[in-house]
Amino acid sequence: MTRKPALILCLIGSCLVQLIVVASSHAIPAFSRAYKVECSTCHTIYPELNEYGEAFLKNSYVYFGKGQKAAKAKEAAPAPKATAKPAGGAMEVRGEGDADKLSKLKGGALGAAEASSPEPAQEAAAPDAAPGGEAKPEGLLLAAIPELLPISFTASIHATYDHNAVNELDLSTRALKLNAGGNFREKVAFFATYVAYSENTDNILNTNTTSTTPANNSTNINELFVIWRHALDTPINFKVGRMQPKLGLWKSNNKLSTTNSFAPYAYTVGTSEFKLEQPQDALEANAVLANRFFVAAGVVNRKYQNTKEGYGHISYKFGGADYLANEPEVDLAKEESIFDFLTVTVGAYGYYGKNGTPNTTEGGLIQNTYYRSGLDLDILYKLFRLRVAGVLGKDDNAYLSTTPTEVKSYVAAVEGEYTFLQNLIGAMRFEYQDDGRGLVRRYIPTLAYAPLENVKVALEYKHEIASAYKSSVSSSAQDFTNKIGTLGVTFSF
Amino acid sequence: MRKLIILVTLFTLVIAAVADARIRVKGRGDRMNFDPDSIPANYRASFDLMSRKCIKCHTMERTVIAVQTGRAPITGQPFDRQAVKAYGIKMLRKPNSNMNKQEIREVVILLNYLLDENAR
Repeated sequence: MTRKPALILCLIGSCLVQLIVVASSHAIPAFSRAYKVECSTCHTIYPELNEYGEAFLKNSYVYFGKGQKAAKAKEAAPAPKATAKPAGGAMEVRGEGDADKLSKLKGGALGAAEASSPEPAQEAAAPDAAPGGEAKPEGLLLAAIPELLPISFTASIHATYDHNAVNELDLSTRALKLNAGGNFREKVAFFATYVAYSENTDNILNTNTTSTTPANNSTNINELFVIWRHALDTPINFKVGRMQPKLGLWKSNNKLSTTNSFAPYAYTVGTSEFKLEQPQDALEANAVLANRFFVAAGVVNRKYQNTKEGYGHISYKFGGADYLANEPEVDLAKEESIFDFLTVTVGAYGYYGKNGTPNTTEGGLIQNTYYRSGLDLDILYKLFRLRVAGVLGKDDNAYLSTTPTEVKSYVAAVEGEYTFLQNLIGAMRFEYQDDGRGLVRRYIPTLAYAPLENVKVALEYKHEIASAYKSSVSSSAQDFTNKIGTLGVTFSF
Repeated sequence: MRKLIILVTLFTLVIAAVADARIRVKGRGDRMNFDPDSIPANYRASFDLMSRKCIKCHTMERTVIAVQTGRAPITGQPFDRQAVKAYGIKMLRKPNSNMNKQEIREVVILLNYLLDENAR
């Protein structure tokens, strides 16, 4: 009986410990968890990438500083020194490149209060220590299995106001996505995006249900690819699976706005569903050359079609950190210069393909041969960022008709961005879209705020003016204006 | 007698080496920082600058551990003079770091001094 209160106390204590542990844990996505870094290491405001995030992406999800740079660092690493703490209240500054001590310090095993006990001599860092200096268990290391399950979730909830819609204020748009990504011993990398649920205002046609899953954005694997990183010790990475082909400078979600895609990447022509940001089944080879030059080329396979499609991309970065995240050479002894802060990235790309009725169609194929060629520019200067994207395209049978209609398309976007605070960024975008249906101009201001690094609140407005717009070949041309405001919350964990 | 003299000499050298470590650290966790009293007068302004500016994004614990261990706590990469300069340039270019080139230069010089003291 006397043991009972002690047992209860133990249980309460255990529960309290659990509560404390849960309260202090950080719900962060896969890469952040794996590398123990904050979101702002790679993002401005999630999911927009900064230049280190871009380097991480180009380095096939291997943390910069690892691989070749790390190997050089290991070669040059000084011999480990034995260190000892003196008796006394304060800790002394000692040690040189001591990864084990770093690991203990981070884990809170060492501290000023423990300074009175002498510290034994330290061993050298484990050769495969994680970026944080903490060694992986050998079994996991040998099996190439990530120590933490590399899965994270991204959810977004939006309130949309559209003065032209029947339901002017719509609170029903939301999405939940699963993301997975990482690498196996820096040899093979992988990435996957699975849309678990999504709902758009445009697709809510059945008013009998409250949660219609739209057909164009259904529960599906959006991206799933593996990368053979630095194949045969060359700088070339081979990427295969469903992916967004490397065309423009920015991946589709690499922007401040959460709902408005860049028109040059998202526009379609005629009845063709092709758009640059569309995930495709592809094989791609890419490489970072001379630290600042990025090249990519790939082949796309379209279902029910024998002919393959091809694409290529080149980009070069002037100034700023290079594609391996090395800082630029800046002479700190000299006066400030515009070139200390200026980063200019230029990219060009081309895509050539065919789509249309499947090979199995009886009575002959109806196909659309098309190309897109584009030029992107990204300028970063202190708190300002300017993005310019332009694409021109040609479709020889955009409406998949027996009497082909050739359509030439010209689409451009300019976006200026200003960082007010580290967690408050504003942007203003102008888009010009001439896709053969008519002329559309859009003005899109966006204000994004991140109260926490993994929570983003975005206020957006789209002012869309269409002139002589024909939604289909047979319809009559119309002028109209859309005014759509969105307030959204996106969070990842 | 000769052994005793050697032992006493060695002991004195060890004690002297320990006593010569001038830069000390105070506090633990988020409150960890270099002891201002152990910073030489000519570096005090730079130290105040570093203590004021760098905590905008991270604790001083990160800086102390980097100097103390010679490795950057987040990346685990060596934290030497070359790395200090690279971090300085990174912070100079970082939006909203609110540090100009002169301030960065002063902090880099201070960190180099701290690294040198650490290596003694």
